[in-house]
Amino acid sequence: MNLTVSATENHVTTEDRDTEDERAFRLKAREWMHGKLPPRIVGQPFMDWEDKDLIEADRRTQRVLWDGGLAGITVPKEYGGLGLTRRHETVFGEEAMPYRLAWHLGNNYNIVIPVFLGHASEEQKRHYIPKMLNGEHIWAQMTSEPSGGSDLFGLITRAEKRGDTWFLNGSKIWTTGGEDSDIGLCLARTDPSLPKHQGLTMFIVDMHQPGMTVRPLTLVNGTRDFCQEFLDDVEVPLENVVGEVNGGWAVASTQLASERAATSRGWFIGAGASLPREQIEIPTAPVKLAQELGLAETQRARQIVGEVIALQALRELVAQRAGKGIDAGTLPPTTGGVASLANSTLNQRASELMTELAGPCGVTGPAEGGEPEQGIDRVWLFRIGGGTAEMLRNTISERHLGLPREPLPGKDVPFNQLRTNATQGS
Amino acid sequence: MDVVLSENQTLLQQATRRFVDQEHPVLATRKLAEAGSAFAASSWQACAAQGWIGLFVPAEHGGMAEDAEGVIDAAIVAEELGRQVFAGPFASNAVVAFAIANAGSEVQRATHLPGLVSGETQAAWCFAGTGAQDGLGPDALTVSGNAISGAAGFVENGASADLLLVSARDGIGLSQFLIPADHPGITIEPLRSLDLGRGYATVRFDSVEVDRSALLGDEEAASAQFERQLQLALVLQCAETIGLIDRAFEFTLEWVRQRHAFGRPIGSFQALKHRLADHTAEFEAAKAAVAYAAKAVQNRSSDAAIAVSIAKSQCGKQGVEIVRDCVQMHGGVGLTWEHDLHFYLRRAVANQSLLGTPAMHHERIALLAGIEGDTP
Repeated sequence: MNLTVSATENHVTTEDRDTEDERAFRLKAREWMHGKLPPRIVGQPFMDWEDKDLIEADRRTQRVLWDGGLAGITVPKEYGGLGLTRRHETVFGEEAMPYRLAWHLGNNYNIVIPVFLGHASEEQKRHYIPKMLNGEHIWAQMTSEPSGGSDLFGLITRAEKRGDTWFLNGSKIWTTGGEDSDIGLCLARTDPSLPKHQGLTMFIVDMHQPGMTVRPLTLVNGTRDFCQEFLDDVEVPLENVVGEVNGGWAVASTQLASERAATSRGWFIGAGASLPREQIEIPTAPVKLAQELGLAETQRARQIVGEVIALQALRELVAQRAGKGIDAGTLPPTTGGVASLANSTLNQRASELMTELAGPCGVTGPAEGGEPEQGIDRVWLFRIGGGTAEMLRNTISERHLGLPREPLPGKDVPFNQLRTNATQGS
Repeated sequence: MDVVLSENQTLLQQATRRFVDQEHPVLATRKLAEAGSAFAASSWQACAAQGWIGLFVPAEHGGMAEDAEGVIDAAIVAEELGRQVFAGPFASNAVVAFAIANAGSEVQRATHLPGLVSGETQAAWCFAGTGAQDGLGPDALTVSGNAISGAAGFVENGASADLLLVSARDGIGLSQFLIPADHPGITIEPLRSLDLGRGYATVRFDSVEVDRSALLGDEEAASAQFERQLQLALVLQCAETIGLIDRAFEFTLEWVRQRHAFGRPIGSFQALKHRLADHTAEFEAAKAAVAYAAKAVQNRSSDAAIAVSIAKSQCGKQGVEIVRDCVQMHGGVGLTWEHDLHFYLRRAVANQSLLGTPAMHHERIALLAGIEGDTP
């Protein structure tokens, strides 16, 4: 939501570190992409699920990469990938800097491929992964439910087996790009007599089949990137189970871990977020706003401008430090979550300061629709979306700092004896 | 410091930690404070023998600058000193040695550097005024003809210094001088200090006559040189804050794991866990900013000035915020004289307030980022 492409000057490449093989791959990528991919446009959103042309363009881009032998760099060859290293991925990312990549297909490569490689059957891998890599399928994740987001494994969507078919009933929400996705990973409860983590199963579900209703949600800023799905006797064949029946917790754990890993190294491949820069980027918006509002001479306004610049720079610095330290093995992988929390907190402070700077002009203009409005957005994007900041604080305190876990009274109780938002009042 | 250090830097870090843990733990700072004593000159010489000041000084004058990344290495040392709220005069001597090594004449370098490296000479830098808005600029002293006048405030190590680095404005620009502390016309008034491990003084200049041999560097280059000194001082201050947060946070984590209330470790309550998670995030940002600033100053990057102010913004605010909350999480025991936490909090507050408050640095960042208007 409203994450936009930034300028690419100042980015350094690691070309001087290339081995011969990496050099050959770099040149191949450079030559193939030249003239075939759409240019990277500063200010364009990475994803805009209302822009159907952009979604189709991203599918075509993925097809071009597939045709050029550049798709699925680290994916094993038997599933259509190239079987190369993370380093080749970095090389590709550097060469792709001038272009817009297939960013609407982020779920495919960030989430679903790692989940499939870890848990799917051989037939599933051979059938689906090539279609993830050639742009034919856009995947969705159907995880959260209206009855609860943070307590993910307390979900209540039911899957019941009748004959040779699973029937799914319930509702999913916060599905990014649900309407324009072809297939989804859907976690559902297959045995409510088991404790909550144990009775879940992961399904492959066609997003446009009978019984499935997909409805976009309108957010406070008017965007319609997220969807809610209603599942009414959605039929799923037996072979569409990923992993074991009642073993969905393990699959979902890989899914969540992949999401965390992708978020910390940069969700949008080739977007440059994780590339080291020679210098920190100094945002120009705060200075511009202060000057437009005639506040450049005011000490408090200057202090706000400087603090906002500091906060924005700190977001970049903390992300870079975490990435570098995790790669080098000097910081634990849990530092990724620390950087995410820092990002959300620093951003929140910056937004509040920009609102203070604009004062009444943030309500009625001339600054209206500018930074203060984004302050409202950003609460969503950074403090709720992708898991609330509170859940992140739990994770950091328990896994990064090693503090004792919260007591979980429902851990070993059969799910159908637990009080949930579905059973409330009954 | 940075998440990737060279082998030499790792060795320096380990050796400094060992030395400080053994010779100058926070207990030593406490003893000095309780006795009302200053850090002994002989103790400082033993510290200097670790090579801390030599990081900026070429081999011909007793140092090892050729084998060091002076600014980054000194920041590594400062971070270790912060962990034990070290009471000795590291930053003041380091900044003056850095200034002389960078801008001094051959005679000045040969005269002053060996003594600074060995710790036999101690130095202090006089530049800021004595008011609530002072600390960032050379606003205290003026030079007219050959005479320096004015009062420099918050001079770290002022009372123990043999040598003063003096930054003074004349009608046109800035000049810097090296003046013996016992020069006629100079009065040094020690001040009481919130930070019980560090002394400050007001240094008064009553028409102090100096000749040209006392000038440090070209007058045209003095402003840029002043900025370099300020940048180093800020890097060392921020690195020290990182070290003191690190240590205070360590024993707070230990405390919340061990201390039980209502049948549970208090560290299992979300009210504390979430705050500790927030502090971890802010602290990580502070560490990132200081590592970046040290590197930028070391490499003379064009963004070094803004980088140190960003580091100060985050370290100044979070140093106090985090250490204050460490006291809170300790409850009553954190309020006792016997507990070490107050030494950490005192240093955190001093480091926030000196060399420009975060708010002053925010204004400086806005100016560096090109906000239009009169520069203060």
